[in-house]
Amino acid sequence: MKLGDWLDERTGHRAWARSIAEATVPGGARFAYAWGAALGVTLLVTAVTGVLLMTAYAPSSTTAWASVAHIQNKLPAGWFVRGLHQFGAQASIVLVVIHLAYTIVRGAYRRPREVTYWVGLALAGLVLAWAVTGNPLRWDQRGYWALRVETGIIGTVPLVGPKLQDLLLGGGEPGSATLTRLYTIHVFVLPLIVGALAWWHLRLSRKHGPALATPADAVKIDRWFPSQVARDLLVSVVVLGVIVALTYRGHGAPLDAPADPTSDYPARPEWYFLALYELRKPFHGALEPIATVVIPGLVFAFLAALPLLDKKADRGVPRRLTLLLPVGLIGLGAAALTLKSIRLDTADADLGKAVAKAEARAERATVLAKDGVPPEGALAMMRNDPMSRRVALFEQHCASCHRMGELAPADGKDTAPELTGFGSAAWAKRVLEEPDHDRMFGKTSFKGMMPSVTKPPEDPEAAKVFTPMAAADMAAIVGFLEAEARGEKTAGTQGEKLVRQRCTSCHRLDGKTDDEESLAPELRGWGSNAWIQAQIDDPGSGKTYPAGAMDPKLEGHMPAFKDKLPEADRKLLTAFVAEERSKKR
Amino acid sequence: MQNPGGDEAPRPEPTIEPSRSNPDRRTALRALVTLGGCAYAGVIAVPGAQFLAPSAEDGQGKARWIRVGRLEDLPQGEPRRLAVVGDERDAFNVTKDQQLGAIWVVREGEKVRAMSAVCPHLGCSIDIGADKKSFSCPCHTSRFSLAGAAESGPSPRAMDPLDVRVTEGFVEVDFKRFRLGIAERMEVG
Repeated sequence: MKLGDWLDERTGHRAWARSIAEATVPGGARFAYAWGAALGVTLLVTAVTGVLLMTAYAPSSTTAWASVAHIQNKLPAGWFVRGLHQFGAQASIVLVVIHLAYTIVRGAYRRPREVTYWVGLALAGLVLAWAVTGNPLRWDQRGYWALRVETGIIGTVPLVGPKLQDLLLGGGEPGSATLTRLYTIHVFVLPLIVGALAWWHLRLSRKHGPALATPADAVKIDRWFPSQVARDLLVSVVVLGVIVALTYRGHGAPLDAPADPTSDYPARPEWYFLALYELRKPFHGALEPIATVVIPGLVFAFLAALPLLDKKADRGVPRRLTLLLPVGLIGLGAAALTLKSIRLDTADADLGKAVAKAEARAERATVLAKDGVPPEGALAMMRNDPMSRRVALFEQHCASCHRMGELAPADGKDTAPELTGFGSAAWAKRVLEEPDHDRMFGKTSFKGMMPSVTKPPEDPEAAKVFTPMAAADMAAIVGFLEAEARGEKTAGTQGEKLVRQRCTSCHRLDGKTDDEESLAPELRGWGSNAWIQAQIDDPGSGKTYPAGAMDPKLEGHMPAFKDKLPEADRKLLTAFVAEERSKKR
Repeated sequence: MQNPGGDEAPRPEPTIEPSRSNPDRRTALRALVTLGGCAYAGVIAVPGAQFLAPSAEDGQGKARWIRVGRLEDLPQGEPRRLAVVGDERDAFNVTKDQQLGAIWVVREGEKVRAMSAVCPHLGCSIDIGADKKSFSCPCHTSRFSLAGAAESGPSPRAMDPLDVRVTEGFVEVDFKRFRLGIAERMEVG
């Protein structure tokens, strides 16, 4: 007795193998049927790479990002596996659309294939749900904010919304409990349901065979293997080629900076939700659910109702135009909205800036993570990183009034002098020439207090007796200020002499001035680290400006940060501003 | 695959076209498709296997000098157990100042000999005998001489020696871990 016979007696595997070998495709093999098969194969690739990723992924708010960064940057072929997984999922979404479009155009949902079609529609929704539950698992900015928006939308669904939202989040705010829930859905619940439904979908479609357009088609017949499998494989290989190409192009899948609930992140949905994102824009307030819930729900309901509406004996495309046109319009509308959204975002300069900033943060996070992430997690790593922290501090506490390089108030909202190049000769020269420029003191309470040394005053009488300062003198004063900022010796220099003659009528030098009432700042040590530190700690202490200059009665006075920020943060900001004086411009 | 009562015209008995049933052609196509399927699977399987292969690159063969104490605090000739404290790397996490393990050191003049306190048998922590004349492992009664040689019990090799140097009065050890249960001494990353 041969082993094969022994086994067949117990398993009946030969009959099963024969049924596969002898399976036929009535009407002949076609590429049109390959889309569904390619979709199945691509989902399988996504599942296999998903299982691989599971071996290295750690779902919690302190470990998720770190483990994904580890996969992406440290593990052998990690970036490749991640890329296949993400682009495999996105390719699946594209294949769902193509497969569904073919089905609708061919009328393959008609009796007796309604259930096959409905199961397929359910699968389409589940594939999207799979993507939605997968993206936040990275716990990076993009995934986190997408999750916030999506669960927010779920919360607006009538009746079940709030309960469903709580169920997904595992609490009020996204956190570790959210990740474990999403992870459970993503790697266990959805694979089970999708697997079961996909198997049923496949069984049903085999049971009914292809929906042939004309009886004449039925004359031909092909073996499923190899004729149809060859076509299925060819399409699958092309799809895999695209996935691999995209993976190489982006070196895996993107990974943003770690999720930061307190940041202002320019959140945008993944490309396959851009149409819905754009659709929402005209609907505000109470009308919002029309775009987020009602319209998508109606579209889905319409697609599901197609088999019930399409009952005419004639199955030709022209006869079914009343149904096909709306479907085509929905597709065109979605494509148009997606393109519009991309166009609007590409043209949005502010968004471009915000995206560039987010990318810089992501790069920094990657660099830091190479040395290992502390047990407190990736966000703590970022917050304790001086390079990132000082930018965040400046944005939060300074950039609402001061401009410094890329960090700036909203257009025209500068209400304090620009700090770009503060402490440099160029800055000193500018304040001497145009103290009332909008980027200097023109928008502060000190406007009009300091005369320009080169421009005649507005008052015609005063203008008559005005003589511009000699260039050499101005250069000497600028040199003095620059030297003070750098902490170099200025005692006895021409610049110091000129400052004593020309500036101390209002300004203090070593605390002495002709006009004790004046609000002008101390020039000794101006722009130096100590001066900047004193200004941040308490601008009205007399070390920089006199108390009167920072009187709360004066509009837009600068607050003392010694009560607002810990010393370490104030030191970070001091060093940050002090770097400006030696920057090459 | 008939659909009685379906929306389709009744299908005539299909005939397999001669051109489509050429057995040679079909056999060749079957082989090609099977090969293609295997190639497709390979594109996933090869990186997948690489991904799962444990990375041996982490720290193996690299010296990792850690300060364990002052030379002057060590008595001559008497074994002392010292804690090794350093940054613990675990996959993506690095935790500062963790106890990484323990070592046995013996001062001999101005030189120091060090051995890992991990038993080469199955990794329990080696202790000093009550008489201070030998080391013993509490798990399976392996005994080692003060020089680290295996004397009795199941240990497949002597205690694992570690490189030591003295800098600025501090004892520094090159802390390593080794594969357990085999006679050969192999470092693990």
